[in-house]
Amino acid sequence: MFRKVLVANRGEIAIRVIRACQELGIRTVAVYSEADRSALHVKMADEAFCIGPAASVQSYLNIPNIMSTAEMLGVDAIHPGYGFLAENPRFAEIVTDHKIAFVGPPARAIEVMGNKSAARAFMQRAGVPVVPGSQGVVTGERQALEVARATGYPLIIKAAAGGGGRGMRVVHTPQDLAAALQTAQQESEAAFGDGQVYIEKYVGEPRHIEVQILADRYGSLVHLGARDCSIQRRHQKLLEESPPPRLRERTLHAMARAAVRAAQVIGYVNAGTVEFLVDAQENHYFMEMNTRIQVEHPVTEAVTGIDLVKEQIRIAAGERLVVTQRDIEIRGHAIECRINAEDPRHDFRPSPGLLSRFQPPGGPGVRVDTHCFSGYTIPPHYDSLIAKVIAWGRDRAEAVARMHRALAEFEIGGIRTTIPFHLKVLDNAFFRRGEVYTNFVQRRIDPSRL
Amino acid sequence: MTDRIDLDQVRAIIRLAEDTGVADLEVETPALKVRVRRGAGHQSSEEGTRVVPFGSVTPPVAASPAPGGDDHLVPIVAPMVGTFYRAPSPDAQPFVKEGDQVDEGQVVCIIEAMKLFNEIQAEARGRVARVLVENATPVEYGQPLFLLDSAARS
Repeated sequence: MFRKVLVANRGEIAIRVIRACQELGIRTVAVYSEADRSALHVKMADEAFCIGPAASVQSYLNIPNIMSTAEMLGVDAIHPGYGFLAENPRFAEIVTDHKIAFVGPPARAIEVMGNKSAARAFMQRAGVPVVPGSQGVVTGERQALEVARATGYPLIIKAAAGGGGRGMRVVHTPQDLAAALQTAQQESEAAFGDGQVYIEKYVGEPRHIEVQILADRYGSLVHLGARDCSIQRRHQKLLEESPPPRLRERTLHAMARAAVRAAQVIGYVNAGTVEFLVDAQENHYFMEMNTRIQVEHPVTEAVTGIDLVKEQIRIAAGERLVVTQRDIEIRGHAIECRINAEDPRHDFRPSPGLLSRFQPPGGPGVRVDTHCFSGYTIPPHYDSLIAKVIAWGRDRAEAVARMHRALAEFEIGGIRTTIPFHLKVLDNAFFRRGEVYTNFVQRRIDPSRL
Repeated sequence: MTDRIDLDQVRAIIRLAEDTGVADLEVETPALKVRVRRGAGHQSSEEGTRVVPFGSVTPPVAASPAPGGDDHLVPIVAPMVGTFYRAPSPDAQPFVKEGDQVDEGQVVCIIEAMKLFNEIQAEARGRVARVLVENATPVEYGQPLFLLDSAARS
C-alpha cells in the first residue's frame, strides 16, 4: 500500500480522498491555491503546499508545480479527484513517468474515451449499442444527407471535441441540414479550436442512466448497479439516484453487461462510469465513459456498501478487487442532492461569499460531503458545489422523505443555495412517481414559483 | 553625475557574470549601461544534465506582508513550486548574501522545478536584509525567499 498520497484537487472531493487515505493509514499531501489558504482540505491533510494563485490554470491545473510538490515531498501516488486534471491523459502519463502511481485508469483509456468519435467507434466494434449515426466525422453536406437517410429525423449534430451543449444542433428537416452543419462546425471551431462534428439520431425525452464499474489490473471487473442522473439543468446534474426508478430489471442487466464490455475493450483499470441515453421504450445507447470518480459516487456507495474511493486507491496500489459480482447486492434506495452556491430564483446565478451560518443535517440515513463550515468564505474562482446531501432509505419513498427532512434541516446563512429548488423537485408529483427525463427541470419546475 | 566610467563597477559586473555563470547579463544604472556576454554551451549541472533556464520569471506579488518586515522591507517571493538554491552549483558562491546590494533584474537564486533550473530575479533594487530560506529546501508558490531593504543606499 502507498505511504503518502498527493490530492490534486480542492473542495469536497479533496476531503473525500483525504478521508479514504486516513482510513487506509496513508499520509496525505494537500495542494492549494492562494485563494484556498484557509480551506478545509489544507487543514485536514498531513502536509499542505501552495501551488499557485487563485486562477486554476496557474494552480490546480499547473502540472509543473504539482509534479514538483509530489517529487519534493516524496509521494507515491496522486489522486486527481474529478474535474481539473482528472481526465487529462498527458497528466496521467507524466505522473506515471515520474514513477508515481496515478489513481485512475491508464492514460490510453482516458485518451480514447476523451475523443467522442473514437470512443463511439470502439464501442461499435465491441457490440455496445450506440445511437445510430455517422461513422466518425462528417465534413460535407452530401455525406450528412447520406447519414440522415439512415438515422432519420430529428437528428443531432455534435462537436467531436465538445461538451456542454456547444457545437450542437438539432435538425428536424432535410432543408435545414446544410445550414445547421455549417453553424455547428463554426461553433465547435470557436469553442474547442476543432471544427470536427458528427451526426446522431436525436433521442427525444431520454433519461440519463449510468453504470458504475470497478476493474483491477488482473482482469477482474465488476459493475455496481446504475444511477439515474436525469434531473439536470443545462447539462449540469443536480440530483442523482440509485437504482434508477421504474426501469425494467432486464434493461438494467443489458446496460450493465454493455458497460462491462465497454470497459473491457479499452483495457480499463480503476473506477469508471459508462453513461447511457435511455429512451421511453428503454432502448439504451452508449453516450460516453467518464474515466474518473464522479461527483455522484456516494449514491452507489450507499446502496452497495462499497467505498469507491478506497477501492480506487487499492486498485492503483496493485491490489486485487476484494469483491466479485456475486458479492454485490443493491440494498434500498439512495438520492443525492447537489447543493450549489447559486440563486435558483435568479436563473441559478452564482452566489459566492461568507457563510455566516452552516449547519448540515444529520440523523438516520443521511450523509453530507462538504468542505464548508460557518465562517468560511466561498471563493468566486471555482465551481459552485458547496455540499452533497445523500439520503438512503429502504425504498425510494423513504429516501425521498429523508432527503426532504434533511434539506429542511440544513441551515445555510449568508448566501443563496439550490435547496429551495431541490425541495420543489422532491415535492413534484411526476418526480415522486419516478417519471424523470433530461428535460424534466425545463418541463416540470417553474423557477418563478420557488 | 559624472561622465567618467566607474571601472570598479564594470569589474564587479563582469565578476558577477562569471560567478553566476550567466551567459548574458545587462546592468543599467542612471550613469551606466553594461552588457556582458559570455560563450554559451559551458553550463552543466553535476549529473551532466543541461541547465535550461526558463528565462526571466516575474515573481508574483506577495500575498501577505513580509514576516517581521518594516515598511521598507519588501519580500522576493517564489514564482513557482520547486527546490530553492542560493548558488548556481554546490561549490559556487551564493548569488547574493545578506548585506549585498542588488539591482532590479539581478539573479538572486535558482528554483529547480521538473529538472529545470529557473533563475529568479529581483523585482526591485535594494540591499538584501535577510535570506529567509535554507539552501536546497522545497519552497511553495508565493513563499518569501529574501527580504530587500528598498530604502538602503550603498
